[in-house]
Amino acid sequence: MMDKKMLLYSGILLLGVLIGAVSQVMLKKAAMRTYPSRIREYLNPLVIFAYVLFVGTTFLSIFAYRVIPLSMGPILEATGYIYVTVFGITLFHEKINRQKLIALFLIIGGIVVYALLG
Amino acid sequence: MKKGNLKYLLILHLMLMLYSLSGIASKWAAEETFLSVRFCLCYACIIALLGVYAIGWQQIIKHLPLTTAFANKSVTIVWGVIWGVLVFREAVTVGKVIGAVMVIAGVVLFAKAEPKKDSESMAEEKETGDPQ
Repeated sequence: MMDKKMLLYSGILLLGVLIGAVSQVMLKKAAMRTYPSRIREYLNPLVIFAYVLFVGTTFLSIFAYRVIPLSMGPILEATGYIYVTVFGITLFHEKINRQKLIALFLIIGGIVVYALLG
Repeated sequence: MKKGNLKYLLILHLMLMLYSLSGIASKWAAEETFLSVRFCLCYACIIALLGVYAIGWQQIIKHLPLTTAFANKSVTIVWGVIWGVLVFREAVTVGKVIGAVMVIAGVVLFAKAEPKKDSESMAEEKETGDPQ
């Protein structure tokens, strides 16, 4: 069973995964635009800020690993699929099917089982 | 499976193993003082591994279906457990294994449930780097 400290640091890693997903959305938005030159594709505020966020997530991961075990990191990172789905539906008007929904419940269920029984 | 696909699948797994090593570097960095020399060395390793992985991923998805690549990505959970046990002497419990298997099954199902249209839209992200 997870203690309070573990829960807090898990939350920090989950926040990092959320920020990582936000940076991916920003990169996708940037990729959908047209730019006057190839250099502007990379050197524009949206892309630069997205990479700043990405660097931020690496520091959040390191901070979280002060407490959480290494084996738990990739488990929590799987929540990225939830954020990607939510952003896909809300921002890119993608559709969710039943299989995807079951998959997301399996991911969430797996994290809960890992946390409660692990 | 085609012989060529098997080659790229093996390369994909090598890339995913490299990606999982960034977790070891992160955990090592977590044990060091922030911005100390050892911390910076670990951080340089993390960025280098993520860079190699991102470039490798871009190349792999030219040759493998995106769904296959995403489904196989769940192997990083297994690597996390292996490195945790071997490098940091973490304990493996039945509950952890059941939880990990459920998450892996969820990730594989999610990737396989990806409609063709979505796969194509994700392929557009090729230029954006990290596949997360």
